[in-house]
Amino acid sequence: MLGDDTSIHIMEIVGNNVRVGVDAPKSIPVYREEIWTAVKEENRAAAAAEQTKLPRPAARA
Amino acid sequence: MPVNIESTRFGAIEVPDDAVLDFPNGLIGLGGTRYTLIAREESAPFLWLHSLDDPSLAIPVTNPWFFFSSYEVEVSDSEAERIGVSDPAQADVYVTVRAGEAIEDFRANLRAPILVSGGRGHQVINEAPGTSVRTPLFEEVPAEASVA
Repeated sequence: MLGDDTSIHIMEIVGNNVRVGVDAPKSIPVYREEIWTAVKEENRAAAAAEQTKLPRPAARA
Repeated sequence: MPVNIESTRFGAIEVPDDAVLDFPNGLIGLGGTRYTLIAREESAPFLWLHSLDDPSLAIPVTNPWFFFSSYEVEVSDSEAERIGVSDPAQADVYVTVRAGEAIEDFRANLRAPILVSGGRGHQVINEAPGTSVRTPLFEEVPAEASVA
């Protein structure tokens, strides 16, 4: 249990793979860590942009 | 009540009440609970998702379909329930843009779009197959600079 209302449980083990289930309140987002980390890095890199650095796309043909 | 911020990029900005977007869970890894969308030029496809809590925090975003005509967004049932948007087509969809030194270095995060609906925004994980957090932006539509 994590706090009063979040639980993590092993659902299945097949060979080297483990399926993990998370029961959490609907308001809490649950992400796989590697996705969360990748998105976090991308958000931070995007936030580093200067306003002058955005090029103008050409009109679609 | 309008919100006034002193943006480090754009200077003083008054944000009307109805342009304030609530992000109950912030942006992934960045937090913040209130943002607004700022357009610098009317015709430009890029907007800035600007924090109203941190005057230095702003992220360039764009309409993904401008650059990726076959882009698809699918959210899991639990995610749809969390954000209260059952069909992504009912929301305004934006993707974050990572600027690069050269045109070919620009990337869009198609894996984690931002859905805005009814004054609320959520960054969600897109379950559609083949979407990357770092998709080259100017592939389908070239940049003007490289055309000239």
